[in-house]
Amino acid sequence: MSGVGVEVSRAAVAAPEERGDAPVSVSVIVPVSERAESLTDLYREFSAPLRAAGRSFEFLFVCEPWAYPLATPVADLARAGEPVRVLEVALSAGETTLLKVAAAHARAEIVVTLPAYRRVEAEALPTLIARVEQGADIALARRWPRRDSWINRIQNRVLHALIGRVAGAELHDIACGVRAMRREVLLDLPVYGDLARFLPLFAMREGYRVVEVNAPQHRGDIQTRIYGPGIYLRRLLDVLGLFFLLRFTDKPLRFFGLIGSGFLLSGAAVLIALFIQRVGGEGIADRPVLLLGVLLVVLGVQAIALGLVGEIVVYLHAPSRRPYRLVRTSSAGKPER
Amino acid sequence: MTDQDRNRPFDAARASGAGGNAETRPALSVVVPVYNEEENVRPLVSAIRDALAYTDSWELLLVDDGSTDATVALAEELAEQDRRIRVIKLARNYGQTAAMQAGFDHARGAVVVTMDGDLQNDPADIPRLVARLEEGFDLVAGYRERRQDKVITRKIPSWVANRLIARVTGIPIRDNGCSLKAYRRELLDRLHLYADLHRFIPAMAAATAGARITEIPVRHHPRRHGKSKYGLSRTVKVMLDLITVKTIQEVRERPLQLFGVGALGACLCGIASAIAAVVAHLSFVTQKAQSVVFPGVSLLWFGLAFYLLMLGLIAEASLKEELPRRRGSMPVVREVGGK
Repeated sequence: MSGVGVEVSRAAVAAPEERGDAPVSVSVIVPVSERAESLTDLYREFSAPLRAAGRSFEFLFVCEPWAYPLATPVADLARAGEPVRVLEVALSAGETTLLKVAAAHARAEIVVTLPAYRRVEAEALPTLIARVEQGADIALARRWPRRDSWINRIQNRVLHALIGRVAGAELHDIACGVRAMRREVLLDLPVYGDLARFLPLFAMREGYRVVEVNAPQHRGDIQTRIYGPGIYLRRLLDVLGLFFLLRFTDKPLRFFGLIGSGFLLSGAAVLIALFIQRVGGEGIADRPVLLLGVLLVVLGVQAIALGLVGEIVVYLHAPSRRPYRLVRTSSAGKPER
Repeated sequence: MTDQDRNRPFDAARASGAGGNAETRPALSVVVPVYNEEENVRPLVSAIRDALAYTDSWELLLVDDGSTDATVALAEELAEQDRRIRVIKLARNYGQTAAMQAGFDHARGAVVVTMDGDLQNDPADIPRLVARLEEGFDLVAGYRERRQDKVITRKIPSWVANRLIARVTGIPIRDNGCSLKAYRRELLDRLHLYADLHRFIPAMAAATAGARITEIPVRHHPRRHGKSKYGLSRTVKVMLDLITVKTIQEVRERPLQLFGVGALGACLCGIASAIAAVVAHLSFVTQKAQSVVFPGVSLLWFGLAFYLLMLGLIAEASLKEELPRRRGSMPVVREVGGK
């Protein structure tokens, strides 16, 4: 299988029959991006409960260039008649892109995203799919009961407490990555780059119904995870980015303006106090606090100016954006068009 | 219709709303955003029906902004009974601006009237608004005579805000908070609302779409059912939005000018500080530490000036991508001469 240069938007509107031949009830998407275990073992383990439940399914392995060789044994499976497909994307663009590309090519209307390493026991899949069939837009697996070390659990708590504050969402295991969802939802969500991890939060923001389903943690997932300081710093930046993206993308001045006026006002207060002292006859040339006052004013003006540029950009893009999402329209049983 | 059709961006949705069979297109669309108004839906619909009895060519769009009560069920029941009523259900509570924009995108009438869903506006005013619009305006705003709201939390802040908005934007509208307004379809095609800009519709319409605007007094009733969804806390937000609107009004096509003026101001402060530094150095500085403060201040100001200029250039670059494409579609209001 050679490299698939994929154009997501066009594939996204393709009818099921154009995406492949026979429709299946569920497409399992495995993005092979950062870390991967044996893909064939993964396939055998996770396809078993689906087969047992009598479902028709396909497995899509989407690989970044470095992972092409990992998919070679999967291609052998495909030749042996197993329902697996390998999509090799042209360049490394992160897990989110892999998911979106795979969704565009999936034959089923329900997709399951499955990391290329084991998170939960395979029996969880049929339950997740059932929840989507019952009306949820996204069903997230939550590794519960957790059987790994307390260090992991504390890290997890802290991250989710932060996220809960920022996004106003009560989720417990956003890092799990095993989720069932409607294909359309995955295609519609405004996620990119590293944001796949936070996909459920964006879905909630768009008004989709997101449910958590407890799933037993996989034996292979039980280990102590302590990362380098860089990873923790990145997660912190993620949360900051999330805060901005979820709340202020269409009103940047609310964010920068608030910060900026804080700086500006405190700077102004310092300068006014100094001015009063100066008028009272005290010299200010030897007062470093003057530097502080001016610095605060400068920072305030900078933040506000940046917010204004943001507003201009948002205004420019307004005609091509849709500031809402519809669930349905009704007009006396008559179709819209 | 699939979900994807429904959620196509904006222009497509608008085209599908406005297009279609010309015979089914009503003369008037009434757009009412509703959010948890289960007690008000029925009386609202019957009041609108009564008020529009003089014509048959109208439609009512109830835009549900993520209600959690029986509002949608009631509205859809009414839509079942009356083909002229349509319900548009948003996926969550997006706020009034998005709800109104959803209504505009799906309204098919040549004239669109918006009003609140809480019965404080009186549908009986609609014919007067429409009549005024037909005298040659693009937007007719209602202003509430004898407003029936709490004085401290609603009327006084609103009075101050309206004065300020009129002053800053230069559009002398007495009551920006009144939802009862009538629009021409052609204006709505050029107006794109987002964030919380519904409070600034007249200013945005005049500045970005060249609308001819007027206002007439409308009736206002005290709230009968349900709770008001606003409070005092929005003051800061409104102030920041006002800065946004002013920026869009003034400099949306030449941001470098705005940032240039800022940079000039910063430069002047920097020069003044530099002079102060020289004077201080020549006249009284005796310790080394003293020689740092004024030069430092001066450098900070020059740094700001530089930063603002760079930012202005970025803003210009973002315009260059978008505007030339859009300006070709600027409507010509009148052509004189020729053949």
